[in-house]
Formats: sequence, structure tokens, C-alpha cells
Amino acid sequence: MVEIAATETATATKPKNPARKVGLLNRALMVLLLTVVTIWLVVPFTMAVLWSLVDPKTGWEYPDLLPPSLTILRWVEVWTTTALPQAIANSYMLAPTVAVTTLILASPTAYCFARFDFPGKGFAQVLTLLPLVVPGFVLAIFFSSLIFSLGIYSRFLSILMAHCVLFLPYAIRIMTVSFGQVRQDLIDAARDLGARPIAVFRAAYMPALLPGILASLIIVFIQSIEEFAIAFIVGAPNFTTIPSILYSYLGYNFIRPNAAVVSLILVVPNVLLMLGLERLLKSANPAQAGGKG
Amino acid sequence: MNWRRTLLIIALLTPGLGVIVIMIGSVFYVAVMQSFGFYNLVGEESFSLEHWQKVLDSKQFSRALRYSAYIATVAAIGSVTLAYPIAIWLRRPFRGSLVISALLKAPLFVPGLVASFLFLNVIAFHGIVNQFMMWIGVTDAPIRLQNDRGAWGVVFLQLWKNMPFALLLLTGAVQSISDEVLDAARDLGAGSFARFRKIIAPLTVQAMQAALIIIFIGAAGDFAFQVTAGPTNVQSMAQYMVFLKDSFGRWNQAAVVGVSLMVLALCGSLVLAVLSRALLRSGNRW
Amino acid sequence: MTALRSIDVSKVFEDGFTALADITLSIEPGEFVTLLGPSGCGKTTLLKIFAGFYEPTTGRIEQDGKDVTNAPPEKRDTAMCFQSYALFPHLSVAENIEFGPKQNKVNRDERLTRLNDLLRQVDLEQHRHKLPNKLSGGQQQRVALARALAMRPSVVLFDEPLSNLDAKLRESVRREIRGLQREFGFTAIYVTHDQSEALAMSDRVVVLNGGRIEQIGAPEEVYQRPDTAFVADFIGSANLLPFQRVDDHVVETALGRLTVSGPPDDAAGFLCWRPEHAEYGVTEGDNVVNAAVSELAYQGSYTDLHISPPGVPDQRLHWPGPASGVSDQVTFRLPPEHIRFVRGKLG
Ligand SMILES: Nc1ncnc2c1ncn2[C@@H]1O[C@H](COP(=O)(O)OP(=O)(O)OP(=O)(O)O)[C@@H](O)[C@H]1O
Ligand SMILES: [Mg+2]
Repeated sequence: MVEIAATETATATKPKNPARKVGLLNRALMVLLLTVVTIWLVVPFTMAVLWSLVDPKTGWEYPDLLPPSLTILRWVEVWTTTALPQAIANSYMLAPTVAVTTLILASPTAYCFARFDFPGKGFAQVLTLLPLVVPGFVLAIFFSSLIFSLGIYSRFLSILMAHCVLFLPYAIRIMTVSFGQVRQDLIDAARDLGARPIAVFRAAYMPALLPGILASLIIVFIQSIEEFAIAFIVGAPNFTTIPSILYSYLGYNFIRPNAAVVSLILVVPNVLLMLGLERLLKSANPAQAGGKG
Repeated sequence: MNWRRTLLIIALLTPGLGVIVIMIGSVFYVAVMQSFGFYNLVGEESFSLEHWQKVLDSKQFSRALRYSAYIATVAAIGSVTLAYPIAIWLRRPFRGSLVISALLKAPLFVPGLVASFLFLNVIAFHGIVNQFMMWIGVTDAPIRLQNDRGAWGVVFLQLWKNMPFALLLLTGAVQSISDEVLDAARDLGAGSFARFRKIIAPLTVQAMQAALIIIFIGAAGDFAFQVTAGPTNVQSMAQYMVFLKDSFGRWNQAAVVGVSLMVLALCGSLVLAVLSRALLRSGNRW
Repeated sequence: MTALRSIDVSKVFEDGFTALADITLSIEPGEFVTLLGPSGCGKTTLLKIFAGFYEPTTGRIEQDGKDVTNAPPEKRDTAMCFQSYALFPHLSVAENIEFGPKQNKVNRDERLTRLNDLLRQVDLEQHRHKLPNKLSGGQQQRVALARALAMRPSVVLFDEPLSNLDAKLRESVRREIRGLQREFGFTAIYVTHDQSEALAMSDRVVVLNGGRIEQIGAPEEVYQRPDTAFVADFIGSANLLPFQRVDDHVVETALGRLTVSGPPDDAAGFLCWRPEHAEYGVTEGDNVVNAAVSELAYQGSYTDLHISPPGVPDQRLHWPGPASGVSDQVTFRLPPEHIRFVRGKLG
């Protein structure tokens, strides 16, 4: 009894076992979070899938918890009767072009940032972020105004230009990191062994750059596919992309099943590409670790 | 530095940085000039303050400005406030932490319009929220939640989309603080809140500012969320700008709104950046 | 009353690894105790248990007679000096030092007095406004020291505080730590894996191995009278030699029959002797060994000789004088009073 009383004062106000408490807390937090994330992601996407499969004949009305019957009719209908195939073609033609052009434009600047030191470099690097801080619709509207006054009429070309500028910051950033990982000792070694420039490039640059190139292509591709402001303002009404189609179903005439179909078409390739990107970044890590040497 | 090197550097910077500066510069120039009556698509061009006057006098404009400023502030501060505890929680890896952080960041890759649509489904008449509220007996019949007047929908969407971004930036910053530094603070008597205020926040202030600024600018210029899920009795700045341009081609007035939006973005981010730093300062000296 | 006491403390990490077992240790107020042991033996773990960062899996920690086993670090009267210094990178030298007193609501005047005194004591007055990354390693270490002492803790815990400093600087910071300890009178627990540091600084040395205490004693004691083979080898790398008992005063070894001063505990085991205890110039009598030199290395004040008796580890001798004076064969005597039996074996 006496001993208990003596230790009482020290332990009374404190948790008995903080370490175990933390473990329990983490477990509880995780369960809570997983629930939240389910509500946060799973429920919305399930509802979208269900809506895209609603049978137009029976519909999905208020008291039903689930649609009474499911068909892929909506998908067929949207595909055959709307401009969606054209929009998909437009988007998927535009995005790769944007990705490649942006990479080509970004590389020299990235190379310069990674391998040269010059006065004002910090400022120059901040300047490359400009497209990120101008609100998208301001850029879109006055870019279209600029395009008119310059007399450029190709919608494809206009959106291509605007997208390149808009996504250059990402490409420059990624490629700067990549160029920074090229090891000078490898370049020197290759040259020392008498390699020609092309061989030097393949031996010293390519391994370090490849993950960055792929990452830049994927990120710009995704961004271009889902970009709405410019595609909508500059492209409307002749040049439709997937987001503009989705907007048309969400705006004045709200057609939920059609919007569900288009949403899924827009988001599913994104998810797949993101998974690819994730693996890419993981596989790039050992190369990085080796590159520190 | 010799001139050949200078030339090389300039040549290397031109396709990337050069294109950015020229294009963004011209867009900015066109917007400003148009707001003062130049660059008209039709009609004569002359300097005038008339467009500014018209827009600044309109009630719609001041409402849009206040509304966009409000949404942007709530989005920026709300996202960062939500992201901080999660970033600190995920600082040390534990079983399942990677999965959690991947799931939390997923909304980053959901396009804004899709996010809107998903949200509209959830709050729809027979969406899960209404069903749930009826099930627990809050209401007997579904209520209309879409385009609510308090802009709760837009705020929710902004947080949904931007919290992951803040989390991305803050996780990196928080993880770069060494365990020993935090242990030292503990050892010197700092409890968890003191550790946050005195050590974690000051050491991650740059990431925090970056998150605040980028989210503020994005939310201030929001169009998609506002048009699909926002209240119908007020317009956001971007929406108002597009509306002016589309109705009778009032390009000059749209330009005024555009320039104002840029000013709002700039001022807002400056205020947030200065404020966050000042708050920390005051926390450090007492 | 003891300043700090651990009673049957053990630590098993979540992954099931036992880092510490049965650590019972009493430290007197004002004592300077060193925890010495090889990498991974649990020194940091024990220190963190004393500081409150880890909770022991079993056992108790008492400070000044009060049970503090479950008290978090911010509530304990201990201050820790970290191996990496762990200075707050965004705070100046002065702000770093004032951090603890501010957290503990020490009033302004008292805080400033402590700050100025400490800055003077660690000789950093002209650097008070600098950020830590502008300081040299030794200066950073002294800031860390001052920051810990500003709390006026009764116990200071040092985790290899000198391991990032070069040899010269180590020497002077070491003296500084001892000086401050005498001046402030705090109890010091000092972790190191450098045996010379341990011997030079401590009142008592605790030798740890594999999470267990091998021996506790004053520096001379653990050096001169190691209890175990591990301690003998770890501190000053004594020679270890297996033996068979012949009678109470004679054992059989790979170096031949040796006379010993006391009876061995067991019929067979290890004995140890130190390289500097070999006597030269004696060619007749007890314990004289004649062996071929297999390796030699000049060390400045002496030459390190190796002999390789069959089937046992190399035995080392310190030959006074340069390598040139050494021939292929060496004859030396092992004085019985310097032969000691130890428990356990290596590895
Ligand atoms: N959190 C942990 N989980 C599991 N094992 C751990 C943990 N922390 C330490 N260990 C293990 O416990 C043992 C003791 O670690 P500790 O850091 O105390 O060693 P140390 O004596 O301080 O070594 P060093 O001299 O290298 O600093 C090591 O084997 C280590 O791998
Ligand atoms: Mg250690």
C-alpha cells in the first residue's frame, strides 16, 4: 500500500503507457481515416458508375436505393449520338502533341538550370512559375483575345500553344532535377574512353534522364487531357475536348447519366497513368541512390 | 562571364523561360490594355477609364470580388489547417501509412469537373447524403442541397481538391525535420502544441506559404466548381468575367474583371504570406 | 539518496528485438557515469529510457527516489545532449539556449542571467545572434551543451557528444564538459564507445554488451580487474588465453605452464593479461615465454609485437623502443600478479 501511494503522485496525472497508447491511437485513427476515405472516394465513384449504367426505361428515382436495372445502353447512346468520339479524338491528339512539344521546349532551359550557374538564376527559376499563378480563365480569355488580334485561326494550334506554356513549369522542374542527376564523372569517363557525343549521351545522360522524361510526358499528358479553361474558351464551339463535353452535361442541361459516362472516360485513363507514374518514380529511386556517389 | 557563355545561356533559356515570359507577358499586356479601351475587336481604340468605372460601380462586381476573396481565403486556410495534423501524423512511417497517404492524395488526380459531378451525385435528391439524413430522421423528405446559398458545396469541393495538394507540400517539409530536433524540444519541456508552434511551423513555413498562395490563387479564379455547384445568386470573378465576355462581347469590362482578379490573387497571396510569417514571429518572441 | 536509478529495466521493441535486459543501476548525485559498449549494444536506448523518450518494457526508473517510469521527457528533470547536436536551425544561439527556460516559464531576468553566464562559460558571447549553421562543429556542440544546462537540470544525458569532432577538439570539449559538471554539480550520464574517453572522464564506467551490463566500476577497476572476457578485450584490448587448471597455482596454456597468484574458479576457461605487462630481460624462472614474432607494428612510444601460439588468438606485447631492436624471437616473462581469470568468452 505504502509503495503504491509513493508512486501514485508521479503516475496519477500521466497515461499509464504512452507507447501503447500511441499504437492504439494510430490504429483508431487509421480506421477512422479509412472510413472517411471510403466516403471520400469509393462512394462517389460507385455512384458515378451506377449512374452511367442506369437503364433509361426504368430510371433511378427517389425511393430506390439502387437503380432497378442496369444496362450499358447509355454508353452506346452517348457514343453514337453525341460528339464524344470526336472530343476523345481531339483530346487524345492534342495531349501527346502537347506533352512532346513541352518536353522539347523545356529541356534546354532545364539543362541550363541544372548545369550552369549564372547571376539571376534564382529569379529566372521563379519566373518559370508564372503560368501557375495566373488564374486559368484570365489566361484563357486574354489568350483568345491575343490569338484573334494575331490572326491565328487554327484552334488546335492555339490550344497547343497555350497548353505548352501552361505546363512548361512542370516539365522544366522535372527535367531540371533529372539533368541534375546526370553524373559528371560518368560523362568524363565516357569521354575519357573516347566516346563520341552520341555515345556519351547514351551512356551518361540517358539513364539519368529517362525517368524524368517519362514523368514529364505523363504529367503534361494528364494535365492537358483534363484542362478545361483554355480548351473551353479558345476551342468553343468548334473544337471540343472531353472536359468541354462534360461541362455541357453539367451546365444548363444537366444530363446525369451522360455526365457519368463522360466523367468515367475522363478519369479512368488518368488513374492508370498515375499508377504507371508511381511505378516509374519508384523504379527511378535506385538510380538516384546510385547517382549520389 | 564571357559573352559566348552568356549567349549560350540565353539561347538555352529562350525556348522554355523565354516562351513563358513572352506569352504570359503578352496575355497580361492584352488584358491590361483591353481594360483601358485598347485591343478592341471592333470599334475604335482610345484610352478610357470608362470600363473601369462601369465595372467598379456595379454591385455585381463587388459581390463577385468579395465572394471570390472569401472562397479563396477559406480554401487556402482550411486546406492548410486540415493538412497540417495529417502531415504530422504521417511523418513517421507506420504500417498502412503509405496506403493512407496515397488515398488522401487521390483527389489531386481527379479533374475539377469530375469532382463536381461526383459531389453533385452524392448530394443529389436521392444521393447518399439525403438518404442518410432521412434514415437517421433529420428530414422526412429529401432536400435540395445543390447550389446552396451558403456556398458550402463550393467550399467542400475546394477543400476536397486542395487539401491533398497542401498535404503533398507539407508532408515533404515535415518529414525533413529530424527526429532529434523534435526530441530535443520535448526534452526541453515543449509539449505537442509548443512543438508545433515553435519548431514544426517555423521550419515548414515556406511549404506552408507555397500551399497557401497556390491554393488561394486557384480558388480565387475558380469557374468549374462555382458554375456547377455554387450558389446561383452570386458569381465568382471568373464566372463574371466569362459572363461579360459572352453577353454582348463586353471584352473591355471582362478585361477589367480579369485584371482585378489578378490583383486579388496577388494581394491575397501577399497578405497570406506576410500574415503567416508574422504570426510565427509573434509566437517566437514573448 | 540516488539521483537516478533503474530497476530491472528491459526494453523489447515492437519488432520483438530485445535491446536491453535486466539493467539495474544506481547513480549518485553529482556522479559522472559513462555507458560504454560497442555499436548497437543499447546505449542510446538506455539513455532514452532515462530521458523518457522510451518507456521500459519492464522495470522502473526512479529519479530522486520518485518513480518517473511513465513521465514524458518534457516533465522530467533531465536534459539531453544529442549526438547530432539537434540545435533548432531557425533559432539563433541565444534563442536556442533560452528555449528550455522559456518553455518552463522561467522569468525574464533569471533567463537572461542564465543566458549570459552560459554564453560566457562556453565562450560564445560574440556568436549569440548567429544561426547554428553558421557555427563550427565545436561551437555547435557547445551551444547544445549550454542549451541543456540552461534548464538547470539535475541530470544531463550525453549521447556520444564528441563523435563528430576531430581529435584535438574532443580533448578540449571533454575538459569543458568536466569543468562545467564540477561547477554546476549535475549528475552526468555519458554515452560513448570510445574507451579512452570513458576512462579519462568518468567516476564510474558501465560496460554494456548485447543489452546487458557486463561490469560496473571505477575506470581503474574495469581496466585493471576486468570480470569478463568481453570487458578485458573491449577496454584496452587485453590478451585472452584459454587455460586448463593444473593445481591451485599452476595452469596449462598455449604459452606453456604458467604460475598464477590465485586459484582459478573453474577447471578450464580464459585468463587475460595486458600487452604492457610483459617483462623483458628475464630469461630464467617462472612464466618465461619464448616465442617467434609473427608481426610487428611501430607505434611511436613502443612497438606492437604479435606472437601466434597454435590454436589461440594472437597475443600482443608492447616492446619498449623502436622496431629495429626486435629480433625474430622474443623472450618475456608474465608476472603472476598481472594474470587474471575472466568469466565468459569472446563473441
Ligand atoms: N525503434 C527500434 N525498433 C527496433 N529496434 C531498435 C529500435 N531502436 C534501436 N533498435 C535496436 O536496438 C539496438 C540498440 O540500439 P541503440 O541505438 O541503443 O544502440 P547504441 O548502443 O546507441 O549504438 P551506437 O553506438 O551505434 O549508437 C540496436 O540493435 C538497434 O538496431
Ligand atoms: Mg547510439
